[in-house]
Amino acid sequence: MPASPDTVGPGPVLLRVSQASKQFAPSLSFGDHIASWLGQEVDRRIVHAVDHVSLELHRGEVLGLVGESGCGKSTLGRMMAGIYPPSRGRVELDGVPVMGAGNKSLKTTTRIQMVFQDPFASLDPRVRIGETIGEGPLFHGLVDQANLKSYVRQWLETVGLPAEAADRFPHQFSGGQRQRVAIARALAMQPDVLICDEPVASLDVSIQAQIINLFLKLKHELKLTMLFISHDLGVVRHITDNIAVMYLGRIVEHGPTMQVYETPRHPYTRALLDSIPRLVTDGDELVVFKAIDGELPSPLAPPPGCHFHLRCPFVQDICKTRIPDFKASPSSLTQYRQVSCHFPIG
Amino acid sequence: MSRILLEVEGLSTHFMTRNGVLKAVNDVSFTLHEGEIIGLVGESGSGKSVTGFSILGLVDPPGKIVSGSVRLQGRDLIGMSEPELRTVRGREISMVFQDPSTTLNPVLSIGTQMRLALAAHEKVSREAADARCIDVLNKVGIPDAARRLDSFPHQFSGGMRQRVAIAIALLNRPKLIICDEPTTALDVSIQAQILLQMKTLAQDFGTAMIWISHDLSTVSSVASQLLVMYAGRMIESGPVRDLLRVPNHPYTQGLLNSLPEHARPGQPLVQIPGQMPSLIGLGAECAFLSRCTRSDSLCQASPALKSSGERRVRCHHPVAGDWS
Amino acid sequence: MSDPRQADTPLRLFWNEFKSSHLALGALIAVILIITLAVLAPWITPQDPYELSKLVLMDARRPPGFVGSGGFVHWLGTDAQGRDILSAILYGLRVSIQISLTAGFIAFSLGATLGAVAAYFGGRIETLIMRIIDLQLSFPAILLALVLAALLGQGKWPLITALVTAQYAYFARTTHGAAATERSKDYIEAALSTPLSAARVVFRHILPNCLPPLIVVATVQIANAIALEATLSFLGLGLPVTEPSLGMLIANGFQYMLSGRYWISIYPGIALIVLIVAINLVGDQVRDQLNPRLKR
Ligand SMILES: Nc1ncnc2c1ncn2[C@@H]1O[C@H](COP(=O)(O)OP(=O)(O)OP(=O)(O)O)[C@@H](O)[C@H]1O
Ligand SMILES: Nc1ncnc2c1ncn2[C@@H]1O[C@H](COP(=O)(O)OP(=O)(O)OP(=O)(O)O)[C@@H](O)[C@H]1O
Ligand code: SF4
Ligand code: SF4
Ligand SMILES: [Mg+2]
Ligand SMILES: [Mg+2]
Repeated sequence: MPASPDTVGPGPVLLRVSQASKQFAPSLSFGDHIASWLGQEVDRRIVHAVDHVSLELHRGEVLGLVGESGCGKSTLGRMMAGIYPPSRGRVELDGVPVMGAGNKSLKTTTRIQMVFQDPFASLDPRVRIGETIGEGPLFHGLVDQANLKSYVRQWLETVGLPAEAADRFPHQFSGGQRQRVAIARALAMQPDVLICDEPVASLDVSIQAQIINLFLKLKHELKLTMLFISHDLGVVRHITDNIAVMYLGRIVEHGPTMQVYETPRHPYTRALLDSIPRLVTDGDELVVFKAIDGELPSPLAPPPGCHFHLRCPFVQDICKTRIPDFKASPSSLTQYRQVSCHFPIG
Repeated sequence: MSRILLEVEGLSTHFMTRNGVLKAVNDVSFTLHEGEIIGLVGESGSGKSVTGFSILGLVDPPGKIVSGSVRLQGRDLIGMSEPELRTVRGREISMVFQDPSTTLNPVLSIGTQMRLALAAHEKVSREAADARCIDVLNKVGIPDAARRLDSFPHQFSGGMRQRVAIAIALLNRPKLIICDEPTTALDVSIQAQILLQMKTLAQDFGTAMIWISHDLSTVSSVASQLLVMYAGRMIESGPVRDLLRVPNHPYTQGLLNSLPEHARPGQPLVQIPGQMPSLIGLGAECAFLSRCTRSDSLCQASPALKSSGERRVRCHHPVAGDWS
Repeated sequence: MSDPRQADTPLRLFWNEFKSSHLALGALIAVILIITLAVLAPWITPQDPYELSKLVLMDARRPPGFVGSGGFVHWLGTDAQGRDILSAILYGLRVSIQISLTAGFIAFSLGATLGAVAAYFGGRIETLIMRIIDLQLSFPAILLALVLAALLGQGKWPLITALVTAQYAYFARTTHGAAATERSKDYIEAALSTPLSAARVVFRHILPNCLPPLIVVATVQIANAIALEATLSFLGLGLPVTEPSLGMLIANGFQYMLSGRYWISIYPGIALIVLIVAINLVGDQVRDQLNPRLKR
């Protein structure tokens, strides 16, 4: 079902990220503490992982988040999932902050859950599957001890695993089965929003399709709202309604998936789409892809102005000094098509 | 076509594990010409890496090459003594390993490591060595290579480390490079850069490559021949374009059909049910039997490799093709 | 890469590997045997060595093999009070093992909790806890134990306190290292994103995953505790005379060494050494097996 603006429409906003930034500063060593105390300049190599990002997730929407490695996708996803507190800005679910105040604060809601990339790392190897799935719901009172078993079984069935899987340990499962367990754990918390960080990237090709189908089924049956982070543009196109493209900590383009894929407006989006090796088996030309010139600049010292200006073929002087606004593109039909560029394509 | 560089015939490598014999590579044969890139695909654990290791004679106990021959320009590498093999490795064949951290020594600068790799095979002056190092680093797209020689591995990003590993493999201008999933740790745009560079290298210097990956689309964009492995066996091979357009083995067909490119957005993907069997105690039947939709009673016996023109397939009931 | 579907539990695989080392297996059997004998001491020894009324002075300082007035053979001889050495050793072992296990258990719990809490919360809490522990680790354990034992006086609990104080820091350091690694793993992030309580994350998820290195430290530390306890008792800073441990037995016989009555000190000494060496051998094998090798 191709996503069109009216199928996902401006429904109620569920999760709102406003001007959120995340910086990682390595903690100072003892010596550095003394040095800075003595008035010495200490080189704090601050990573600007996410830089003033605003994003809305509407109820029932599946939003894809794509971009090069290290551009801050996982960090943004973790802020939205309430694992990292934003350094600046807000992340709110239905208007309520996702995390408590303060730097060491904890998540205050169970309505956002997360599925991680590596199912070998995201399941505690010493805890049986049943407990892994059931501990959260039990702790938060979604189910009582008496009904726990059948509750766990119900979610195992939802993700296509047999009931007896509950008594086994993670190492007794294959990668695809483990990812099903991880999905069941997230679903068992009955979330409104599911954040998926590259959920198929570490799976085998023949298993990827199984998990993608599971997501499609969940999307339709449970009407889940999802953020789907991936570097596999084929997968993203397949299951998302809308897509946000990220470059060096900023969202540079946002719009309905099909539109963005067919007519990318940001130079980076176009370069990214052109750079994917594609499997074209009909027609003579097998390979049509070209690399983006230049390296991803360092998030330790992001360039001024438009972050993409060092690699952009359309760069002008203004790009080197002024950050382009994130604006609804004038020529597009809906307010969902947004692009952050002084000279958008088309 | 140019001259034959490598002939692998009936190669089998088994691991004698506590639980039984694990047949990691089982009767694999193929031929590689000079300057040719051959893609080796298959799912995790199907024996791709072990095939690469076996060619280099890098199989450690409990693993053992139990049969077959690996002829590099007519010389059989199997049965060569370790010192002889060592001169072949690096000088004539080099390998880029799946995990770049196993190749790079964290406590030596990359310049030192590259000079050592060079000095192991020929005598060159320091200036000449540095020039060679800078040259290969430039080739794999490391900007400002001259200044980077004094950097240590941890000062590079993951993608750059992988490129340094590739640069080291190129250093001695080998005839053959075995690349074991050299780009899976990289993201798409950097992957594309490296793929293009490698392809150019093969064309310009006549370097042959075995490109191991489980990602069909990356392999198909560099390789001219494709070899599909499943459960330790080679189940299909042929020219890339041909093979992708008309897969003959049910597994290859399933794999291609399961790609999102082949489905309408939002519609369920075609999936291959089940998973690859354990390589320990494989029975006499076709290893794909439990997942195959075309199977019948014939499939209780493991199919032999059939060939027709440039295509080969190991199946009793190939999906397509003329296999009389 | 192990086959994910195999039914072998990690524990079984571990045991199979352990079994294949004959030395370690022998040591394990020795440890179990010694502990069983010590636990059963009151029921298997011919004599209660601390029932003073049963001791006959005539039997004092007899060499091994002597048949005393009780009508049974003193296989390892008798001491200055006419006590059967074998019985005394078994009773002494019982006390030694009891004390060091108790101390080890408390040090383990305390140290592991501190280490895991430090790693989990990070920041100031971590700095504070770890600084104290580092500071303490810079003193020799024996010195610390000596000072404490001297300050607290004789008795079971003062001795245990001294041992715990001297040892918990090793557990804390090890746990902290392991827990800091676990803390950064995805399954802990998954627990945080659920979210689960800090207590549950620390005790159900982090600590169990830190167990392998802790078990190694525990075996070494129990052996150390036995030696430390013996040292303190030997120096007269340990238990009161009414509850003699191996250390005190050795100390008591020491004065007779030069007069040729070696057995009063030597046999308890041998018992001590055998126990400590056996525990260490088991610990070494466990450590070797848990070493992060290239396991696919
Ligand atoms: N805990 C952390 N401490 C310090 N720096 C971090 C931390 N987590 C991420 N970073 C840095 O922040 C930047 C963004 O990282 P992030 O993991 O969000 O990227 P990503 O887009 O998810 O990349 P990938 O596709 O490789 O997963 C990177 O430069 C990374 O090195
Ligand atoms: N040292 C070893 N000891 C025992 N078995 C091994 C060893 N190395 C590899 N194997 C087994 O050989 C089989 C093939 O492994 P190989 O590494 O070649 O797979 P692969 O196709 O490269 O997979 P991947 O895509 O995960 O790298 C696997 O079943 C693996 O478990
Ligand atoms: S703002 Fe300028 S540099 Fe940035 S993407 Fe647009 S045209 Fe390129
Ligand atoms: S031999 Fe039979 S079971 Fe095997 S792939 Fe062919 S049809 Fe399927
Ligand atoms: Mg990420
Ligand atoms: Mg491999």
